[in-house]
Amino acid sequence: MPVPLINYIALSALIFMIGATGVVARRNPLVMLMGIELMWNAANLAFIAYARAYLNNAGHIFAFLVITVAAAEAAIGLAVVVALFRRSEIVDVDDVAILKG
Amino acid sequence: MHVMGLDGQYPLLFAIWLAPLVGAIVIWAFGPMLRTWAGPVGCAAIAVSFLATLASWGDAVRQTAEAGTTIVGAHQGLGAWLAGFNLGLLWDPLSLVWTLIITGIGFLIHFYSMGYMAGDRGYARFFAYMNFFVFAMLTLVLSDNFVGLLIGWGLVGLASFFLIGFWYERPSAVAAATKAFVMNVVGDVGIMFAIFIMIAVVGSVGFGDAFAGVAAHKFSPGLLYLACGLLFVGCAAKSAQVPLHSWLPDAMEGPTPVSALIHAATMVTAGVYLIARCWPMWEASPDARALVGAIGGLTALLGAILGVAQWDIKRILAYSTMSQIGYMIMGVGVLADGAGVLHFFAHAWFKAQLFLTAGIIIHALHNEQDVRRMGGLHKRAPFAFWSMTVATLAICGIPPFAGFFSKDAIVYDTLVLGHPVLYAVGAVTAGITAYYMFRMLFVTFFGTYRGDVDPSSLGLRHPELAGTSAGLVAHTHDDEPAEEHPPAWLMSAPVAVLWVGSIFAGFLIVGGTNSPWYKLLAPVFRPALIFPEGNAPFSEAVSTAIVLLLVLAGIGVAYWRYGNAAALRDAVERLRQESVRMPPVLANLFYFDVAIDALFVRPAKALGFLFGQIFDPLVIDGTVREARVSAVWLGHLFRSFQTGMVRAYALTIVFGATAFIIYYAVVAAR
Repeated sequence: MPVPLINYIALSALIFMIGATGVVARRNPLVMLMGIELMWNAANLAFIAYARAYLNNAGHIFAFLVITVAAAEAAIGLAVVVALFRRSEIVDVDDVAILKG
Repeated sequence: MHVMGLDGQYPLLFAIWLAPLVGAIVIWAFGPMLRTWAGPVGCAAIAVSFLATLASWGDAVRQTAEAGTTIVGAHQGLGAWLAGFNLGLLWDPLSLVWTLIITGIGFLIHFYSMGYMAGDRGYARFFAYMNFFVFAMLTLVLSDNFVGLLIGWGLVGLASFFLIGFWYERPSAVAAATKAFVMNVVGDVGIMFAIFIMIAVVGSVGFGDAFAGVAAHKFSPGLLYLACGLLFVGCAAKSAQVPLHSWLPDAMEGPTPVSALIHAATMVTAGVYLIARCWPMWEASPDARALVGAIGGLTALLGAILGVAQWDIKRILAYSTMSQIGYMIMGVGVLADGAGVLHFFAHAWFKAQLFLTAGIIIHALHNEQDVRRMGGLHKRAPFAFWSMTVATLAICGIPPFAGFFSKDAIVYDTLVLGHPVLYAVGAVTAGITAYYMFRMLFVTFFGTYRGDVDPSSLGLRHPELAGTSAGLVAHTHDDEPAEEHPPAWLMSAPVAVLWVGSIFAGFLIVGGTNSPWYKLLAPVFRPALIFPEGNAPFSEAVSTAIVLLLVLAGIGVAYWRYGNAAALRDAVERLRQESVRMPPVLANLFYFDVAIDALFVRPAKALGFLFGQIFDPLVIDGTVREARVSAVWLGHLFRSFQTGMVRAYALTIVFGATAFIIYYAVVAAR
């Protein structure tokens, strides 16, 4: 018996909210990056679920694209974190406000 | 254009027209090298023009045709320069009369200037300007269309600006030059709008086409009146008619030969020329005749009254010019064209003579111009005395001198043409003219010399300002070495030539339809314009007697006040009394300058103040300033969004995304 689509979407939404909460609520940049990763993967799950349910390969293709961009994002994000840490040993993103207007 | 005769090929006209321009350019370009030769070169240029005029005389008068719609005489095309309007040169009796005076009297004035201006630092510059002035005036009178006329009209204004402001170190000269130029530009604008009407109605700027359009009733009466009125604005400005006259007395700031040139040969008679040239328009518009006749009469009267109140010899003559031009304008305005043009012709001689003689006196007295500081000059300068006497008799209209015939003809013609008020004005003005001219003659030449009397005892309030500011001018003469002083005949010979015209010019009109004047002008005007026909209450002999009586009365009053033995003995005290008791209305010249100042100059300045001090800083600058303030304010607003907190941005994105989701889920899904 196949799992209904709504279950996948609910799981995807749950994971996305967890990720978003992590980005907004936590101040450790590493944890925020993890939150972002959760949001990527929630989106991927939704893409695959829809693609499977409607028999459309565009969702698969998009999922690969998301994985690629997520990898690049992780690389840049970690590089930024490392650079920040090297500069002033910051572990709290709220202290990084040099672009404040 | 309907032209009879030598259409298209008349190269001699170019010699008349362009010789003064060539002279001006040569003197202007090579002035420093020419040095004292600038004068002879300038005279030669005018002489060439004059001789070419004499040589072309026959071609101007040879053609006869129905006057009015057809321009007769020689015509030289200049091609279609402006949007298909053909420009050309016209050579007919009217052009001939003016060209004769412009080049003939102009030559005498140039010749005289060689003596008068000798040693002046601007000697070459002076002759360049004078030649340019003659060229500008020739452009005006030789043009066969309104556009060429307007070009000449503007160039004359420019030349007068140069010459009135010739002594540019003197602020008063610069102010006078500016005033003359601005007032003349007012007239130029009037003529420009008249040309617009011509183009709109007849589609051409040629005189012939315009007059044919008038004859064909293409103009409605109102439009024709407007066109005549706009042309007359130009005439009023150029010919010093009320209320645009006040530049003329101020123009006395120029050297005396310039005054002679402006008043006798060029410039101020341009208005007379234009109205005489456009007589078909005036003939078709009774309203225009009434307007121009009234303004001319008013100018004649006001000029004469103001002439009574002057002390500067050149200003007396300036107001006499204004008055005499008023006569001419009155004459041509009411279609007494033959008499009006004759008065121009005669006036050119005796007015040039008056000014050049005044120049001899001013020169001899080292730039003294105030008649109160003269006196007794008939012994010191007998030639000047007799010359001035002849010219004065001519301008007063004593028979048989020139002014008698022309002025008498104008005055009587106004009566014949049904303008009794203008007749009365003309007759009374003749009397006042006699009074102020003989006043000048008596005060200047009779009694004893008063130049060594304390100026304040003569009633001169500011002796250093009376007359010309001698200190500024004198150095131009006195700094030069003594051997530069020219021989006296350079200045007296041209004046002696002018005697001929002042005495005999009037006889041209004697003999009715057999007179040379009638034969000359008949192709241009209709006979009725030269000898008007109509019902006059009394004959010309009675009119002449009335005018002569008034003239003699004027002379008598002048003799009683200034000329008799008692008056001459107490001259100093009497002149002081008169100076002190001068009525304010006369001392302020009927408040014309004050009125113009209050009506035009001050409002213009107020407008300038409004725009410069209020509109510009508050509205234009204010807009810019407010734009800056709002940009700063917007910047502050948007700055506050840039908290620098990454998590705040993330939360914003979450809210934004949520908003989108809600929108698509709730609103767009419906």
